[in-house]
Amino acid sequence: MSSVTLEGLTKQYPGGVLALDHLSLEIADGEFMCLVGPSGCGKTTALRMICGLEEISAGVVRIGDRVVNDLAARDRDIALVFQSYALYPHMTVFKNMSFGLELRKRPREEINAAVAEAARILDLEALLERKPGQLSGGQRQRVALGRALVRHPSAFLMDEPLSNLDAKLRVQTRAEIARLHRRLGTTMIYVTHDQIEAMTMADRIAVINQGVLEQVGTPRELYEQPRNQFVAGFIGSPAMNFMQLEVVNEAGRHETTRLLGTGIEMQTDQSQAARLRSSGLQHVVLGVRPEHLVLASTNTEYGLVIAARVDVVEFLGNGTSIHARAGEQDLIATIDASEPPAVGDTVLLSAPPRHIHLFDPQSGLSLDPPATP
Amino acid sequence: MTGFSLDPELSRARRIRSRMHLSRSALNLGLGAVGVLWLVPTISLAVFSLRPEGLFDVSGWWHVLTAPTQLTLHNYSALFSQGFAAGGLLDSTLTSLVITLPATLLVTALASLAAYSLVFGNWRGRDVAFLVTVGLIVVPLQVALIPVLELYRSFGSLTGYNPFGTFAGVIIFHVGFGLPFGIFLMRNFYTGIPRDLVEAARIEGAREWTLFRRVVVPLGLPAAAALAVFQFIWVWNDLLVALIFLGGNPHQTLTLFLFDQTRSLAADYWIISTGAMVSIVVPLGVFFAFQRHFVRGLLAGAVK
Repeated sequence: MSSVTLEGLTKQYPGGVLALDHLSLEIADGEFMCLVGPSGCGKTTALRMICGLEEISAGVVRIGDRVVNDLAARDRDIALVFQSYALYPHMTVFKNMSFGLELRKRPREEINAAVAEAARILDLEALLERKPGQLSGGQRQRVALGRALVRHPSAFLMDEPLSNLDAKLRVQTRAEIARLHRRLGTTMIYVTHDQIEAMTMADRIAVINQGVLEQVGTPRELYEQPRNQFVAGFIGSPAMNFMQLEVVNEAGRHETTRLLGTGIEMQTDQSQAARLRSSGLQHVVLGVRPEHLVLASTNTEYGLVIAARVDVVEFLGNGTSIHARAGEQDLIATIDASEPPAVGDTVLLSAPPRHIHLFDPQSGLSLDPPATP
Repeated sequence: MTGFSLDPELSRARRIRSRMHLSRSALNLGLGAVGVLWLVPTISLAVFSLRPEGLFDVSGWWHVLTAPTQLTLHNYSALFSQGFAAGGLLDSTLTSLVITLPATLLVTALASLAAYSLVFGNWRGRDVAFLVTVGLIVVPLQVALIPVLELYRSFGSLTGYNPFGTFAGVIIFHVGFGLPFGIFLMRNFYTGIPRDLVEAARIEGAREWTLFRRVVVPLGLPAAAALAVFQFIWVWNDLLVALIFLGGNPHQTLTLFLFDQTRSLAADYWIISTGAMVSIVVPLGVFFAFQRHFVRGLLAGAVK
């Protein structure tokens, strides 16, 4: 087991395309780190550079205390689980799992014991003599995991291992991987484009966009204190609503700051007002998560109020999702209503100031106060 | 009520099924007829080889249908009784095998290695090398006869060993001309092997040779089998290369053996038919042995 450290990791392809731009990340020993981002953001490239499958253009990869930049993949003591599973179709499940140990010339008894152990953990004991072609998707996935864990590597790397499974199996396997990690305590680096996978499994998440690290933090930190508009929009489902509003400062006995848009009004609290004033912005992007919007009958004194016309009502069982329009602004609200509004109704949606995120429209950076540790 | 609607449906289904059955048996019959038509020359050859020598000018081979007792193994025993004397049937069969087997194995092995390097290697100019190789497929081998003879001669004067007239000389020529197509076939098959598999093996600790032998070769077996069958039949049936490069060698290939029988004014048809049968049996055996792989190899890459 070891920590994995990336320092200024950069990948530039011969054509000049910058796939990864100075990624620095410290993954502690035993940590479950998710690299998450939209497809093509460079997260898989980063993983492949850690494995040794991709040449490193610049920067340093350290596994434990060793700089592994110039080590071949086989000497890095890591295991990779592929999206496609990459099982050897001509070998039995047993052979698939024992292959790596055989190549490392381990004694027979040790190999048998390691495979038996992995098969027991992953419930593969009945399948050891089958070929991958005779297995279901979920079983193949477990063999791929088993192949990784028989070697007791210092870190597990996983490249979207669940994306070929159907929805139900995905939820199951997600829990299985989380359990496996807790049991083995091995460092795990997990790449996915699915923020739900990242949120549910990871100790910490690194959000990558266009080759740049946007934010690293625990799932709660990313959800509650996104550093910028990208992270705010990427984490959470359905995605956060963004609306650009005008900043109106009103002098008077009590100085107040309001944010205005068509059918949208936001009465800021004191700290938000102070930060808006010091920023001197004329316009600001307001972000609010669908699950934080509630149906309001009357105006709340502080906070966001939106008058919107209901476009679509989706009954989800455990809630109701409303797609609505306020002026030119599309919104989604997930509400818990026993009597949901009908399509065409005009509703008032509101949220308290503590659930409101403010972003600089130019830089996209958050205006919210930095996290208090 | 339902009875009315159900019955016509049922009988209609039955009618359709019986019509399909009929058309399928018609199809099978047609295919069978074509098959027999294709087999007639081979059957007639087999009958020739099994009839007494003297009957050849007297009656057609189909007379065997009315007088099956005329069939005899005499022709075979006459030719086999010569044993392995140089220039005889058995000796020629052996010579053909001694030339064909190494030429086939070498082409399959070398083409697999080259294809592995072209697909999974990491060197500059792989694509150019592959294109040049593909280009070589269209070079007619007649073009190379004289240059290769020259090459052999100068190799001989340099080292004292001139491959001309030896089995090695013929084998080398066949390998050289088998490789471009072999590399083409194997390379195209190997590109279908998922890269993830190779990378997984690399991470697990496989070096190039292990990767080749334990992962790529087993997965490429269908293509290798197809190539081996192609190459075997090509070399086995070759006359031109053997005729030129085996010049002066007392041992001759089966094709040369048959060729010799037709050269004289009065051809010995009983020898030709019997020799031809022997020369058919070996490649047929090879084909049936690899048939399963062979078909898979041809289909490989078509789907997916």
